[in-house]
Amino acid sequence: MDNYLDKLPDFVNTVKSIQETIITNIVLIGQIPSPTFKEKRRTQVMMERLAEFQVDECSTDGYRNPIGIIRGTSESKPPIFVVANLDTVFARDVDHYYTIKENSITGAGILDNSLAVGVLVSMPEIFRTLNLRFESDIVLAGVIQSIGKGNLRGIRHLLKTWHTPIRGAVCIESSGLGRFNYYTDGMIRCELECNISTVDGWEYKFKPNAILVINEVINQIQKLRLPQKPRSRVIFGKTSAGFKHGMIAYDAMLGFEIQSDSDRMVKSIFNDIKDIIDGISHEYEVDLKLKTISSLNAARLKFNHPLVKSTVAVMKKLEIEPISAPSESEISIFLAKKIPAVTLGVTRGENHHQVNAKVEIEPISKGITQIIGVMMAIDKGVCDEKRLA
Amino acid sequence: MKNDWLEKNTFHYSEFNDLDRLVDEKRKKNLKISLCLPTLNEEKTIAKEILIMKSELMTRYPILDEIVVVDSGSTDKTREVARAFGADVYEAKDILPDLENFKGKGENLWKALYVTEGDIIVYLDADIKNIHYRFAYALIAPLLFYDNVKYVKAFYDRPIAIGKNKFRPTGGGRVTELVIRPLFSLYFPELTQILQPLSGEYAGSREVFEAIPFPIGYGVETSMILDIYEKWGLDVIAQVDLDKRIHRNQDTRALGKMAFVIMMTFINRQKKLGLIELKNDLFREMIQYNLVRDEYQSDIFKIEGHERPPIIEIPEYRHKFNKN
Ligand SMILES: Nc1nc2c(ncn2[C@@H]2O[C@H](COP(=O)(O)OP(=O)(O)OP(=O)(O)O)[C@@H](O)[C@H]2O)c(=O)[nH]1
Ligand SMILES: [Mg+2]
Repeated sequence: MDNYLDKLPDFVNTVKSIQETIITNIVLIGQIPSPTFKEKRRTQVMMERLAEFQVDECSTDGYRNPIGIIRGTSESKPPIFVVANLDTVFARDVDHYYTIKENSITGAGILDNSLAVGVLVSMPEIFRTLNLRFESDIVLAGVIQSIGKGNLRGIRHLLKTWHTPIRGAVCIESSGLGRFNYYTDGMIRCELECNISTVDGWEYKFKPNAILVINEVINQIQKLRLPQKPRSRVIFGKTSAGFKHGMIAYDAMLGFEIQSDSDRMVKSIFNDIKDIIDGISHEYEVDLKLKTISSLNAARLKFNHPLVKSTVAVMKKLEIEPISAPSESEISIFLAKKIPAVTLGVTRGENHHQVNAKVEIEPISKGITQIIGVMMAIDKGVCDEKRLA
Repeated sequence: MKNDWLEKNTFHYSEFNDLDRLVDEKRKKNLKISLCLPTLNEEKTIAKEILIMKSELMTRYPILDEIVVVDSGSTDKTREVARAFGADVYEAKDILPDLENFKGKGENLWKALYVTEGDIIVYLDADIKNIHYRFAYALIAPLLFYDNVKYVKAFYDRPIAIGKNKFRPTGGGRVTELVIRPLFSLYFPELTQILQPLSGEYAGSREVFEAIPFPIGYGVETSMILDIYEKWGLDVIAQVDLDKRIHRNQDTRALGKMAFVIMMTFINRQKKLGLIELKNDLFREMIQYNLVRDEYQSDIFKIEGHERPPIIEIPEYRHKFNKN
């Protein structure tokens, strides 16, 4: 059982030997803009590259997620999924051309999540170079409409329409070598809009200011008593308001998330916040609209699940220090369907979410080897017995 | 004017996407192919060009035998980066060091002929942001597949009419449309079929490149076309649509200088070919004016207009390539 672990350190060098091809894939795919909902061109290029590397099957699913399949040696073992999201936060007119230096690649979207997509597409070539065959089919899936307003639609559809069992999954993120996500919090993401009628009016004696109204909402939410257990919090993540300095703000927006490892707690906090908002709306006679943008249920692998233990073993073998945190991403959808899944990061980076995002080249081969190690563990059966908690 | 050349000798890169076929043909013909990248301060783009070409056209498909960078004395990290990514890197002044030293892109292309081994040489500018390996293989392919073709020139953006009444202009740059195209139309109408004579990306056989002179600077593309046309005719030339090339945009003053050099090259060629007579030699200064405070001050850009002879005439070259 341990012997696959012993192979891993050597794998790092073998993977490094085809690093040029991996980076070529990262660049050729990453330089294609792919804002959420407009991933078509990147999808095409990803398919071209997959075909180029001779996967056994290459197509899009019914929702246009590009997918490549490498056939395994066993007819009966369910497939292993490897996924990375195809969309980025950058609009099409942003310069997506990358700059490569001796130990870095710089450019829009490289950290979230273009590097990971390039790695995904390189997998067939990496397996060939490592002389690696799996028992399971390997399903390489680029998923569209993942981030922000995409709300993980791509992966949701893919898993909803995939009718046979799935053995396990690895989700790839460009950034954070060492990140190890295997649980996901319950979450509701909301947007609150405050609009004050601009018709010069007799309704208000003193015209309310949308910024102050939102401020009041924030104050009252902060007064809510949130429990330590189940661990719960409200994060204020986004806001915008007003028009110019010398004028009362007529509209304001507040974006926030309720997170907890208990779904019931999320729901209950959401209801409290709704009450607060109704109250303020009434009191100030303003129009407050609360929209739920997305939500996730809490789900996790137990810390003693064999996949968790194996992943830690793989990372330790490669001298990667695992860092765990809850994650709202593709794994959430796998875990919600009781499919064992983890998220791993490939390399280190800086300038997250900026056009000059930058990744280090040197750790990439180790980051990839770790992913392969976990796939080998799944192929050896660590996900086969114990179901999720 | 006949314009059947345009029909016959214009290709789209996608016609050559089958790289296994290219590899076979190259092997059958037993040819060596060199890629040369001339550089001056290109640390932002050089690594990407080398890496993609090496991965796709050396490691995955054995089409290129070498990647050579010839540098004009960059003051940034161009040479260091290029070396780190596995190219053979030279400074132009170190090649054939006994010759007088000149600086310019044309100089680098010419000297590359001495240090490369290829029977086919591909030249690509080193500042291409959207570099893709098609830039190399699609320029090489017509040389392999069509025996009459000896020189292949890139052009960008589909130019040909699409549908019945729709058309798009052919998208040459400003200098092409305002300088070269009018000059070609006046003197060599056939050459107007070459849609982007100034593109910096082309490939050709060594026999062609070694037999023509190279202006050391911006005139090199223009003179190359005129010389090849003059010596071998239009039929040895082909052009390939490489889709899009992302280019930094130069201001009008810089383009003015470029236009100056190109017109100078053109007129000198005309004279050499006996097509025109000049009463006086041309002046060698491009004069532009700046308003400084309340005064107009001239800004003079001097062009020596040096030109390297066909490299086959250089003894060291003949010796190295056994051409005696
Ligand atoms: N201008 C210039 N370019 C050189 C020289 N030596 C090498 N080069 C390279 O020649 C190629 C073309 O040069 P550019 O200055 O880009 O010329 P261009 O493509 O006509 O003009 P741009 O519109 O600026 O791209 C680039 O790869 C340069 O790095 C030199 O001495 N001067
Ligand atoms: Mg240029």
